[in-house]
Amino acid sequence: MSALYELRGIEAAYEKGENVLHVPQLDIARGEILGLAGHNGSGKSTLLKLLGFLLEARAGSLTFDGALVDRAALRSGHLLRRKAVLLGQETCLLKRSVAANVAYGLKLRGLPAPKELLARALGLVGLDYAQYGARPWRQLSGGEARRVALAARLALDPLALLLDEPTSGLDRASTEHVKRAVLGARENHGATLVIVSHDLTWLSSCADRVLTLDEGRIVNGL
Amino acid sequence: MDYFSEGLAKAVQLLLSLDPETFSAVWATAEVTALALAGSLIMGLPLGFALGHFRFPGRRAVRLFMDWMLSLPTVVIGLIVYALFTTRGPLGEWGFLFTIPGMAVGLTLLGLPIILTMTATAVESTDVRLTETLLSLGADRTQLLFATLSEARFAMALASASAFGRIVSEVGIAMMVGGNIKWQTRTITTAIALETGRGEFATGIALGIVLMLVALVVNLFVALLRRRAGS
Repeated sequence: MSALYELRGIEAAYEKGENVLHVPQLDIARGEILGLAGHNGSGKSTLLKLLGFLLEARAGSLTFDGALVDRAALRSGHLLRRKAVLLGQETCLLKRSVAANVAYGLKLRGLPAPKELLARALGLVGLDYAQYGARPWRQLSGGEARRVALAARLALDPLALLLDEPTSGLDRASTEHVKRAVLGARENHGATLVIVSHDLTWLSSCADRVLTLDEGRIVNGL
Repeated sequence: MDYFSEGLAKAVQLLLSLDPETFSAVWATAEVTALALAGSLIMGLPLGFALGHFRFPGRRAVRLFMDWMLSLPTVVIGLIVYALFTTRGPLGEWGFLFTIPGMAVGLTLLGLPIILTMTATAVESTDVRLTETLLSLGADRTQLLFATLSEARFAMALASASAFGRIVSEVGIAMMVGGNIKWQTRTITTAIALETGRGEFATGIALGIVLMLVALVVNLFVALLRRRAGS
């Protein structure tokens, strides 16, 4: 079976700046959990945005799920982003209840969001629906908000789940919940995961392989 | 102080007896405010959203122009609208001068910059990560627009309340464009100005009480919105 992502000769940058990402070749297998490590500014988040179709490469080719992602495909980028869902580095919740936040991605897809599904997604990150479901976004701690944001992505059962520092600001118990949720997403739904983290111990315990980036280039782990 | 207490007692009597002249001014105010607010919202919300959300050439100039409109004296707005609607003016044939619709046009010019600039600011100040979050959750362009608008809903409701307060309490435009015609274009504010000038404090106080009650309700509404917005 072909890889879910195939990157060839990728050069990427933000707006008019210099190229900050150079990836001659990278394949990410279906169902793989890939870890990305490296210093701040090494290009990890840029690579994640590229994989999440929030950033267009300046050069090179990217194939996703067997189809070339060209400019025409990116014009309907939301269709790609519905298959590859990104959790950004900083948590941003909508000004709604926890349940509404978890249901939001489903709503955007025109899918039903039954209570059982929302409760399951929240349960995966260690939050009880009865306790948290009706709670407004502003009454959550930073760690709780982070977990709600992750639950909102897990509820979507995407083909690829791209997580940027999913455990930042979380205590040990919550970190374990996230790990179980990550592994569960692959085991139960066959999801492919790409995870950026500074916590190498945690990352190694989840990922099948860990790549290290430096100055926008993959320097080891290939 | 006698004249004041007598005026207050008579004002209460006028209100309780549903005095037709007093309530004619209240009705004219409600009518013109509703029309002007509707006009301001219909134009101001989408334009404000566009100004806050999109980056286009000349955006800063438009923003500066709207800020300038905010500080434009109401008598100047009244003068411009009067010049447009007077029989010799370019829109004179519309017959809008000294009518409720004519006043509503003038008051819309007062409310529009408030709604537009506050909506633009509200949209600009939505979390910068919001767009990325919505896109990553799978929103298409239309969903992105409506979701951003929805996230700024409390701030936009505040803008509407502010515009309402400004429109309902305006006197210059109402006086110049409306002409303060009894039973027709006499609003609460123009009636207060006229009655006070004539020494008829009771009617002025009665209308003032209505205006203060309206202001109180608007302020309570704004306070409620602020609490809900968590600001």
